[in-house]
Amino acid sequence: MGWTGRILAGAKFLAPLAVLLVLWPILIRAFNVNPQIFPDITAVARAGLESIRDGSLFAHMGASLARVAVGTVLAILVAVPLGVLMGVSPGVSAFLTPLLRFFSVLAGIAWIPIATLWFGYGFGAITFVIFNAVFFIVAYNTLLGVSTIPMQVRNAAASLGAGRWTMLAEVLLPGALPNIVTGVRTGLGFAWRGLIAAEIIATNIGLGYMIFVARDFYRTEVIVFGMIVIGALWLLIDRLLLAPVERATIERWGMVRSA
Amino acid sequence: MNPALQAWSLYARATKRWPALAALVPFIPVVALWWIVAAAGVFPRAFFPSPPDVVRSFADLVYKGILPEYLEDSVARLAVGAAAGMAIGIPLGLLVGLSRKAHAALWPPLLFFQAIGDIAWLPILLIWFGFGLATMTFVIVYTVLFPVVLNTVLGVRSVPVELHRAALSLGASKPRILWEVVLPGALPNIITGLRNGLGYGWRALIAAEMIVGTSGVGFLMFDARRAGSVVEIVLGMIVLGLLWYIVDAWVLAPIERATGQRWGLVTR
Amino acid sequence: MKSLAIRNLSKTYFDAYAGAHVDAVRDVSLEVPEGEFVSIVGPSGCGKTTILNMVAGFIAPSSGEILVGDHAVAGPGPDRGVVFQSFALFPWKTVLENVAFGPKMRGVGKPERERIAREFLSLAGLSHAAERYPNELSGGMQQRVGVARALANEPDVLLMDEPFASVDAQTRMTLQEELTRIWQERRSTVLFITHDVPEAVFLANRVVVLSKGRVLEEVDIPLPRPRRWDALVESDDFKALANQVLQLVRSA
Repeated sequence: MGWTGRILAGAKFLAPLAVLLVLWPILIRAFNVNPQIFPDITAVARAGLESIRDGSLFAHMGASLARVAVGTVLAILVAVPLGVLMGVSPGVSAFLTPLLRFFSVLAGIAWIPIATLWFGYGFGAITFVIFNAVFFIVAYNTLLGVSTIPMQVRNAAASLGAGRWTMLAEVLLPGALPNIVTGVRTGLGFAWRGLIAAEIIATNIGLGYMIFVARDFYRTEVIVFGMIVIGALWLLIDRLLLAPVERATIERWGMVRSA
Repeated sequence: MNPALQAWSLYARATKRWPALAALVPFIPVVALWWIVAAAGVFPRAFFPSPPDVVRSFADLVYKGILPEYLEDSVARLAVGAAAGMAIGIPLGLLVGLSRKAHAALWPPLLFFQAIGDIAWLPILLIWFGFGLATMTFVIVYTVLFPVVLNTVLGVRSVPVELHRAALSLGASKPRILWEVVLPGALPNIITGLRNGLGYGWRALIAAEMIVGTSGVGFLMFDARRAGSVVEIVLGMIVLGLLWYIVDAWVLAPIERATGQRWGLVTR
Repeated sequence: MKSLAIRNLSKTYFDAYAGAHVDAVRDVSLEVPEGEFVSIVGPSGCGKTTILNMVAGFIAPSSGEILVGDHAVAGPGPDRGVVFQSFALFPWKTVLENVAFGPKMRGVGKPERERIAREFLSLAGLSHAAERYPNELSGGMQQRVGVARALANEPDVLLMDEPFASVDAQTRMTLQEELTRIWQERRSTVLFITHDVPEAVFLANRVVVLSKGRVLEEVDIPLPRPRRWDALVESDDFKALANQVLQLVRSA
């Protein structure tokens, strides 16, 4: 596809959303909607501009993104080596699979009450929730990825003289990478929702807090603006960061996803 | 042979005969470790209860009827949400998957509204509907809907064009092709969508119950948090894990075995 | 059973990659009289599958017409049964349900359509597999189901698109022999597409050699029936005909 083709496809994608944007103020006026029920587009824009001018948007966004980044990076750093270790032996991985599945089912939101008790309200509790959401799913997927590497490939590497570390670096990690990336993507999906829930419950800064506190004052324009920011941020993280990496690992190596 | 190996081979043989064991036995060392750490008093008991404390609180809450009632509330909300999500999601997915025009008009908004996660809707829903059932139902339906729609579209588009052609040249009309070819062809994807949707929906339910609830497992846990009762929080988490396990093992997995796996459309 | 007539058929595609129009089929005319078996053979890209897709009604011709009996073709229909290279069985239906699909679409009641399906399954030697799902069968058996399903709908014309190209060599020969046997019993009007010269000669009354979208030559195959491979591989007549067709295809 050339440049014109890509621009055309982009325009086609955006057209329905543009229609919604045009319809919005028309419907608000036509039905004379109370701004305490649903805001007009101009009010949302004004609320957005104001939050940019007074810096509060960036403070909330920064807090949310910092929690996600710290929780996710920590979780990946711990989960991947652990998953590889657990996946190396078929017996061990079969034994641990039910445990990891149980905990990955609990990932995220279910940890909020106990996290807030253990760490108190704030950065620690929320980061812990995110860590949990990502950790178990990534560990499980890493284990799955390592244990589905065909024995023949491992044998081939061993017969070519691969030692323990070369095997890890050259065979196990790359082989499990597509699964790891898929795990990170799924885990982050849960973590992002967990983040919003945790910020509603357990903090005084962050995007979740921003929209929840606006509710107290019936400031729907702030809520809707916050929702758009939350959705747009997730689309950016997912489409620009996670999906390309996933596509690159899975498609370039011709590997099929197994989870 | 050394005793550890002997025990291991015994375990391997036992799990082959009773596969349920393989899902249960791995929890024994975890519970044992938990018990030891709790008994050693590394953490204060109020912060870190031991397994018997949790069992006692389970018995207590069952005896008082609180746990069964809350569990019933949560499961009923989830079931209603899942049913409504599918009732809207599957037809919508078929429409978007089959019609070019519907796809061009609806696909971008679907992706956009999916990105605004369920829980971000809570504040405005609270303004619209107040603290109550309507808010929670909306959140769950919303959460279940998107994975079902998006996966149904994928499923519809994954049906090979040859199957459409075969049905046409055997004299099938459009509505019959929908029923006999498109729907069963998309079914494995629809079930995947339902699985994802329930996974998200169920977490959204817990969050909604914590934030707006007056009953349900999420409310139980959050109420316990207010009272500082770690035991009941841990109990709630275990109940949630078990609940999902039951939904997965007794509802979703059998459907998958009877459809996509049997037809050779999905490999296990 | 009816005859099939193709008159001045052409198909022009727009190839987006090349950015140009491509003539896939150019002014092809062809008669398949009632009860005759005609093979179209040619190298890949010669337009043979495009012709079949137009006859089946899956794609519209750019010009020309197609007649089944005296009815012009306008889209897919049950008067033309199709056997696909990829089998195209419904994975979610048992073998019996697959074969009964055509009668079901005609509104035939359940006991009657199952009786029909069993009859055609036994014709294809598949009675024992009626309750199984397609993915539980070998490729050769799946294509037997494909043939039985097309025949069970009693089409006027049977269209076969390289039906045996994706089964192994041994099975292919068995299926070819079975197909000649079934054809002799039922005398269907068959249009058979293949790139395999011996297959085309073995099966047909007449072989049409196609090249770059045009009919290069038609070759009559007056070999006696029933035809069996172990007899024909020794036959000088068969060798001569196969050689003649092969030369035409290679010159194409």
